[in-house]
Amino acid sequence: MLTLLDQLDKGTLWRSHGGIHPPEVKFLSNGTPIAKLPLAKTYLVPVPQVGENCTLAVKVGDTVLKGTPLTQGNSIWHLPVHAPTSGTIVAIEPRVSNHASALPVNTCVIEADGKDTWCELVPNELDSLSHQQIIDKIHHSGVAGMGGAAFPSHIKLNPASEIDLVIINGVECEPYISSDDRLMREYSQNILAGIGIIYRLLTPKRIVIAIEDNKPEAIKAMQVAVAQSALPAGSVRVTVIPTKYPSGGEKQLIQIITGREVPSGAIPAKLGIVVHNVGTAFAIYQAVVQGKPLVERVVTVTGKNVGKPGNYWIPIGTPVAHVLAETEFKPDPEQKIIIGGPMMGHALANIHVPILKGTNCVLVPSNQEIDTTPDEKACIRCGECANVCPALLLPQQLFWHAKAEEYDKAATFNLKDCIECGCCSYVCPSDIPLVEYYRIAKSALKQAADEKQQAERAKQRFEARLARLEEEKLAREAKAREAAERRQATMTGTDKNAVAEAMARIAAKKAAVQASDNTANVVTTAELKDAPQGKAAVAAAIARAKAKKAAAANAEDSDTSNVVTVKVSDAPSSPTGAISQDEPLSQKDKVAAAIARAKAKKAAQQTDKAQLETTDTADTADNASELTAADDKKAKVAAAVARAKAKKAAQQAETKTEDSLSQTTTTEAESTSYTLGEVNADAAIDDAEAIKKAKVAAAVARAKAKKAAQAVLTTAEPNTASKVEVEPELESVEDSQTQSSLALPSAKETVDSVATGSLADVQSAKPTSEPIETASLSSDELKKARIAATIAKAKAKKAAQEAHASSDSSVND
Amino acid sequence: MAFKIASSPHVTQNLHTSTVMQRVILCLLPGLVVQCAFFGWGTLVQVLLAIIVALSAEAAVMKLRNRSIKASLSDNSAMLTAILIGVAIPPLAPWWMIVIGTTFAIIVVKHLYGGLGHNLFNPAMAAYVLLLISFPVQMTTWIAPSTVVMHSPSVLDSLQLIFNIGAHVNMDQFRLGIDGVAMATPLDTLKTDLSMGLTRTESMTKAIFDGATGVGWFWVNLAYLGGGLVLLKLKAIRWHISTGVLAGLFVASSVGFLLSPDTQGSPLFHLFSGATMLAAFFIATDPVTAATSPRGRIIFGALIGVLVYIIRTQGGYPDAFAFAVLLANLCAPFIDYYVRPRSYGHSTS
Repeated sequence: MLTLLDQLDKGTLWRSHGGIHPPEVKFLSNGTPIAKLPLAKTYLVPVPQVGENCTLAVKVGDTVLKGTPLTQGNSIWHLPVHAPTSGTIVAIEPRVSNHASALPVNTCVIEADGKDTWCELVPNELDSLSHQQIIDKIHHSGVAGMGGAAFPSHIKLNPASEIDLVIINGVECEPYISSDDRLMREYSQNILAGIGIIYRLLTPKRIVIAIEDNKPEAIKAMQVAVAQSALPAGSVRVTVIPTKYPSGGEKQLIQIITGREVPSGAIPAKLGIVVHNVGTAFAIYQAVVQGKPLVERVVTVTGKNVGKPGNYWIPIGTPVAHVLAETEFKPDPEQKIIIGGPMMGHALANIHVPILKGTNCVLVPSNQEIDTTPDEKACIRCGECANVCPALLLPQQLFWHAKAEEYDKAATFNLKDCIECGCCSYVCPSDIPLVEYYRIAKSALKQAADEKQQAERAKQRFEARLARLEEEKLAREAKAREAAERRQATMTGTDKNAVAEAMARIAAKKAAVQASDNTANVVTTAELKDAPQGKAAVAAAIARAKAKKAAAANAEDSDTSNVVTVKVSDAPSSPTGAISQDEPLSQKDKVAAAIARAKAKKAAQQTDKAQLETTDTADTADNASELTAADDKKAKVAAAVARAKAKKAAQQAETKTEDSLSQTTTTEAESTSYTLGEVNADAAIDDAEAIKKAKVAAAVARAKAKKAAQAVLTTAEPNTASKVEVEPELESVEDSQTQSSLALPSAKETVDSVATGSLADVQSAKPTSEPIETASLSSDELKKARIAATIAKAKAKKAAQEAHASSDSSVND
Repeated sequence: MAFKIASSPHVTQNLHTSTVMQRVILCLLPGLVVQCAFFGWGTLVQVLLAIIVALSAEAAVMKLRNRSIKASLSDNSAMLTAILIGVAIPPLAPWWMIVIGTTFAIIVVKHLYGGLGHNLFNPAMAAYVLLLISFPVQMTTWIAPSTVVMHSPSVLDSLQLIFNIGAHVNMDQFRLGIDGVAMATPLDTLKTDLSMGLTRTESMTKAIFDGATGVGWFWVNLAYLGGGLVLLKLKAIRWHISTGVLAGLFVASSVGFLLSPDTQGSPLFHLFSGATMLAAFFIATDPVTAATSPRGRIIFGALIGVLVYIIRTQGGYPDAFAFAVLLANLCAPFIDYYVRPRSYGHSTS
């Protein structure tokens, strides 16, 4: 940068490519001092940012003073606008904009009171202000780029990067405009004061004031001001550049002054350069030193069709119609009203639009001065446009593709780097409005880009949704897997032991039963004694269940279905009730529940029975499964136990009626054929145990026999209701796939042998069944009672099945 | 009141296509005059005939295309094409040749490709090639320059020969030199002599040559060069293509001459023979069919120059601009695609 600084100090200039020399018509307006125009009746102050990053500070009917802010907002992009004169807000509504599109924009309409009273202005002593205070002052005064773009100045004055060079743009290369020229001539001291503020804020190494050589008076004035300024010597200089359009373009000016090019798509700050217009420097001075918000600017009103061409201080918001009326405008037919210069200005269809912060010229040419553009002719690819293009583009290629609407191809010729200076159109021998084609192509590309972006967003949304759904699915699966693992985990170790223990206990119980008297009475008593933990209850329940089963079995065919129905509906109530009162469930509870559930399933599958029954048992199953988590192994154990009993019941049935035997045995055979052999159960059931079980079974059978006898006496017994789900048990045996097949035959044999004797005890068995039930409930371990209950229930089912089987025996045979 | 809306810029310079074409035509005139001075009125007759045919053909096509005939004729492009064909073909070629050539140029080469600005090939050169291939004898039968010829054709002779009326005039009599030997163009003569084993120096002693260049042809070329320089000054054309053509031809012929001075024409001979200057300033510079970027245009011109040298020395035709220009026309889109200027703010890569 050192050499560059040297060259800056020497005033070395570089060449910018292309450019044109349109006829200079500045003489029309630059000869007279900046004047004032009479106040307009109404002022139109557009507030386009309202709703975006600011809100209105006034409402219709409010009285405002000159300088009263009309908008308020905290956004850095909010550029405040102020009332240009004192008066009343008469409307806030969309009005035609001062833009090529003429699209309506939200506008504050102020009716002037004619007094033009300033609001209270606070002049500042520059030295007492901090940087941030200065920037805030500039921000709140609504200072924007006065060269035409109206970019908020406070943003450019607060750059993120280091600024080495500030260029003050006094080039004013448009052929008609002289507002900066006059401003420099008349307010050079104030401009320099503004430059001083810029210097303080940005602390650049150099500030270069660039002026075209067609403004000698302005150059002189600025040089004098620089010489008198208090800024460090050598830090600010005036550099005179040759007159050529568009040297005043930011990029071109940077190239001319520094020889460097602003990278495509970047801002000058990337090179450590900031460009401010001389008018902006003046506005900064007014805002910071005088405390004046930006409410008026110098506007060149020129062209052969105004009687008083010149430069005027015009309040922002003054209707163009008023300006023209006050400058003796005489319209031609097909008159063009151009806002800005002839090269880049836009033509107005409606002159009831306001002067804006960036409006530097109102050009009203006569038809001889600026004639209507001839019709477009064929491009002969002469390449003159490329010769004058300051952006070094190939305008004829851009045109070729733009006309063919091949916008993507136009984009490959760097369409976006076109600054729309109009040099190509100016020189085109075929009178092709090239810039217009580029504008269309640019907007088409922008639209396409917007659409693409929208499509991209939609795609992203869609993909995000898919991802979310997939995630949710995975999460569900993971949760399910976790739950399964948890179940697996809870089953291991102690659970298995518990199962084994339970098995052993049951076996022991059965042994005890076997060892006791053949009467059910004795059995129950013994059990109560031997198994304080409720094993007695289990046994009792088993006995009870069998009794009921027998009763059911003996019931008449027609009655059975009724009874079953009733019983099924009752069945869930007792275990459910018991459990609901209970403490957190132990594994044994789970066993019981599982058993219950298994039975419920079986019940459901018991299609031979009435539909009602099926439905009800399904409910039962639901209840059961709600109560506990399934514990397969225990269920199997329970099922095994149940099966053993089922067998016994079958045996018992055998003793009653020879016919029934075949059915039951067949079912059992089936069930055993599925056996996989549960380790625990198998281990337990060796020969000895088989004998024990046989004994148990015998006892059970006995009980059932008793019940059967009773059933003969009383056909439908309400008490037996809860033990009805007999049949499902057979299936439970199948489902659980447990039990050693070895054990079964022996068990059956035993049952056979015992069965005969058991009949004798029928009478006594019946009465005892009730007390036992009570006892089991009142005993210390309710859980065990529940197990017993379910087991009993299962047996009851069996019995029912048996009964059923006996009724169908002839068929099976 | 409603005001007129227009897109910026609102001012344009007053140089239109028709003006550019007009300037090119005007700058052709010195060459045309010198050509007439050396080769008789035939050239002028050919030019006038070509203009009539071209404008008629242009009008007919515009009528068929439902476009403004006036606008099309007033752009002067058809007239320029006609004049170029007229000065390019032998002055006493039969009338139907120029009619065929011009009609082909305007209707097929120009308008069937979309009209002005859309044609791929230079219409005048495409027509020239069509005629050269179809009627090689007539197209290579140039009369001798008036200064060395036994009989110069009068206006009447020219008209009779061109329109083939009156059998007493024979084309060959206007090709006889003072020594009574039929003369060809300098390029043709040198080519034939070299192929017959003569050295360049031996060949150059013939009457058709005037020291280093051909009699008459040097002045014709000089006149076209002068006109071309005026065109440059008027900025009707830019320097890139012309410089490219001349530089390409000069470099190529210099290399050939240095390698084999006896069998190759000198660079000066090549630059001032045949259609060199006409082509360099008035034909190759047709912007429609040339490359568009400045660098591309230099390449385009140099390609023509080198091709001309190669075809002149190695090919079967004495002059080669028509072929060279058409070949370069073919390359123009390709050149445009790869040779683009570095836009502002873009790195060189």
